[in-house]
Amino acid sequence: MSDTNKEMMARLDEFLLEVQKPSRYIGGEHGAVIKDRSQVDIRFAFCFPDTYEIGMSHLGMKILYGLKNAVPNYWCERVFMPLPDMEEQMRRRNIPLYALESLDPIKDFDFIGFTLQYEMSYTNILEMLDLAGVPVLAKDRTGLTPIVMAGGPCVCNPEPLADFFDFFAIGEGEEMNLEFMRLMEQCKKEGATRQEFLRRAAQIEGIYVPSLYDVDYNQDGTVKSITPKDGAPAKVTKRIIKDFDKVYTPDNFVVPFTQIVHDRAVVEVLRGCIRGCRFCQAGFIYRPYREKNKDTILANTKALCDNTGYDEVSLSSLSTGDYKDIVGLLSDLTDYTTAEKINLSLPSLRIDRFSDEVVKKITDVRKSGLTFAPEGGTQRIRDVINKNVTEQNVMDSVRTAFEGGYTNIKLYFMMGLPTETLEDIKGVYDLARAVIEEFYATPNHAKGRPGVAVSLSTFIPKPFTPFEFEPQLDEASVRERQRYLKTINTDRKITISYPSYELSLIEAVLARGDRRLGKAVYLAWQKGCKLDGWDEHFKFDAWIEAIKECGLDPAFYANRRRSYDEVAPWSHIDMLVSREFLIEENKRAHLGLTTPNCREKCSNCGVAKCVGGDVCRAIR
Amino acid sequence: MPSVNTRAFFSKTGRAKYISHLDLSGVVIRAMKRTKLPIWQTEGFNPRTYVTFMLPLSLGQEGLHEAMDFRLTEDVPYSEVRDRLNAALPPDIRVTEITVPKDKNTDITAARYRIQSSADPEKLRALCTQEQINVEKRTKKGSTTVDLKPLMTDVELSGDILEVTLPAGNSFNINPSLLFEAYSAQFGEPVKRLNIVRTHIYSGDREFE
Repeated sequence: MSDTNKEMMARLDEFLLEVQKPSRYIGGEHGAVIKDRSQVDIRFAFCFPDTYEIGMSHLGMKILYGLKNAVPNYWCERVFMPLPDMEEQMRRRNIPLYALESLDPIKDFDFIGFTLQYEMSYTNILEMLDLAGVPVLAKDRTGLTPIVMAGGPCVCNPEPLADFFDFFAIGEGEEMNLEFMRLMEQCKKEGATRQEFLRRAAQIEGIYVPSLYDVDYNQDGTVKSITPKDGAPAKVTKRIIKDFDKVYTPDNFVVPFTQIVHDRAVVEVLRGCIRGCRFCQAGFIYRPYREKNKDTILANTKALCDNTGYDEVSLSSLSTGDYKDIVGLLSDLTDYTTAEKINLSLPSLRIDRFSDEVVKKITDVRKSGLTFAPEGGTQRIRDVINKNVTEQNVMDSVRTAFEGGYTNIKLYFMMGLPTETLEDIKGVYDLARAVIEEFYATPNHAKGRPGVAVSLSTFIPKPFTPFEFEPQLDEASVRERQRYLKTINTDRKITISYPSYELSLIEAVLARGDRRLGKAVYLAWQKGCKLDGWDEHFKFDAWIEAIKECGLDPAFYANRRRSYDEVAPWSHIDMLVSREFLIEENKRAHLGLTTPNCREKCSNCGVAKCVGGDVCRAIR
Repeated sequence: MPSVNTRAFFSKTGRAKYISHLDLSGVVIRAMKRTKLPIWQTEGFNPRTYVTFMLPLSLGQEGLHEAMDFRLTEDVPYSEVRDRLNAALPPDIRVTEITVPKDKNTDITAARYRIQSSADPEKLRALCTQEQINVEKRTKKGSTTVDLKPLMTDVELSGDILEVTLPAGNSFNINPSLLFEAYSAQFGEPVKRLNIVRTHIYSGDREFE
């Protein structure tokens, strides 16, 4: 029988009209994969620890969903975080968290897999496990299934979540997911125990089983050593797809009934980034840089638009403008999209590529505003962070925008970057002023008043970046710099906003946290923390209380400079970028020296050595 | 060939009953794009597939014979239009018939509903047979009191299933859920389970065509 869980459907029917936007809790969309339970051996609940609208916009989930469902006897289903109104109803009626395809409770699945996209979704994971009726602590789970695992960028330091997960999948998942699912298939046949499964899983490259490692601490609270046991590897090395052009790519998406954040076809054009901006974790953990062939991208675009019916497609990457033959790619793509009346959008364009003719031609001009991210206010600080963008680049880009009829520009900056002084903060204001002046200096600018919206977030040092050693700016200094900027801004055409400092502090703690923080995450959740990424739900005081009740200090994790020889809590995870390189880059940052991008010159980050020079050579 | 007005009758059941009227057109338009059928689009800078729904269906209600209109710019056999739409639509929206429209949406006068509920059958029967059934009807302009009694025709009660015909259309429409609001108010008990299925749409004394 391939029908859905009728009993669950009847129970949902009793109240679903009482919750906001019920269609996100019921599945049944075009492209959703329904299988015959009797023909399925392994069931996987793919959990996105945020709302349907956010999770359904995520390309990684679509890739792994399609990949797993392409295997006839595996069934992967989707699960999202219910909003409080839905959750309240589910708890009141004893309805366990279910998967959207079958409507079956996920506690009966073989795998419950989460994607860790950002630290502030961690409490949602606990909430979802609890709502599913699955013990949140790994040690309390006994049978072979369900195995609770996670992948995604945050698993490069999964330590704060070590208590909750059976294993983490480090790196790119396209091969690894099928490998651990095959292992489960075998273990179920053999009647193996959970421990046997985990021991064997730890032998798969890229699989990190936290319970197979003991962590010891020094007197000062830093990590002393991390010791593997039961044959687990001393270092878990991330997986990458070497032949990226041939990697599985979905040719269909689940098309939602209701509007989601990115409601369009998304085509991946490249992975990794050549730039090496020193604050950017993605720029290091997704190395090496790999491109898909133009024809592969074009074929994927056509298949996706045909199969989904979307009339908008966007190119996804860390920096689409870096695609080697970007002009050729865009001209081929626009031939197709123009004929089919499809909008093409390029969300990730660097400032220095925006003024290119071709890019200009296709950039969606119907939007009312444009966003640029110079990140730092002065050339000096931009050199420190290796954001190789000049003021001239910014001015060229905004002029192009003003000529195109824009009047409003958004500028993104970070505050609290290493070596930053008030001079750099003043630079933020000066740059915003210069943009306003550029508006008036542009002949044929649109009528009306120009506006610059500056967003100044607090910098969060992340693992596997050259800034992993750096302290986050303390609160007093953040407030001082905010006040300073407020006093010098006399121009009403410039508005300055500061994303929550409190949120960035908790994110900083979790990003570079160790295993001891697991208790704090648990306590914070027990104190009602969930949906932390949403301002209206974020409970800063509860978080601080939770951290302190564990005898831990937020400043130890966030605001402390770490020495180069300190054992990082994530030092048993190998993201291929060498520690020596990160240290070298940190030193260069303090000297204000930039590092050429991968296309200009190899900076010996260590990736080429691990994956074979061929992969990297393709960059040039 | 000039574009030809075409009507699809379809059912919207199961999970699809949670697609709001607002979202439904997006769902159908994307499905139409997937079919590659020659369906007329509006002119202009942002061409849009043109489709109109004859009578909105409330969120949570199912419909067995709903109608939507669009225009075909080429001659395609109706059975093929139906099959290609069904191949592209979500499983719980099924096209049953493609026709040439006879009636306009303003010709719609009434609709028939089959309602399965947890209401007590005897109390529901008592309610349906009393002289007046007054209930608050909320409209954009505020709320008014209507007497449902004279508006209900061909009432049939059998077990936990009520069938009733009520006025429908863009100018005056009575949602069958009002009857159960009256029930709750009169007997002081909520109706926990309410499955409303619109089974027919009428134009005067015959089916809407």
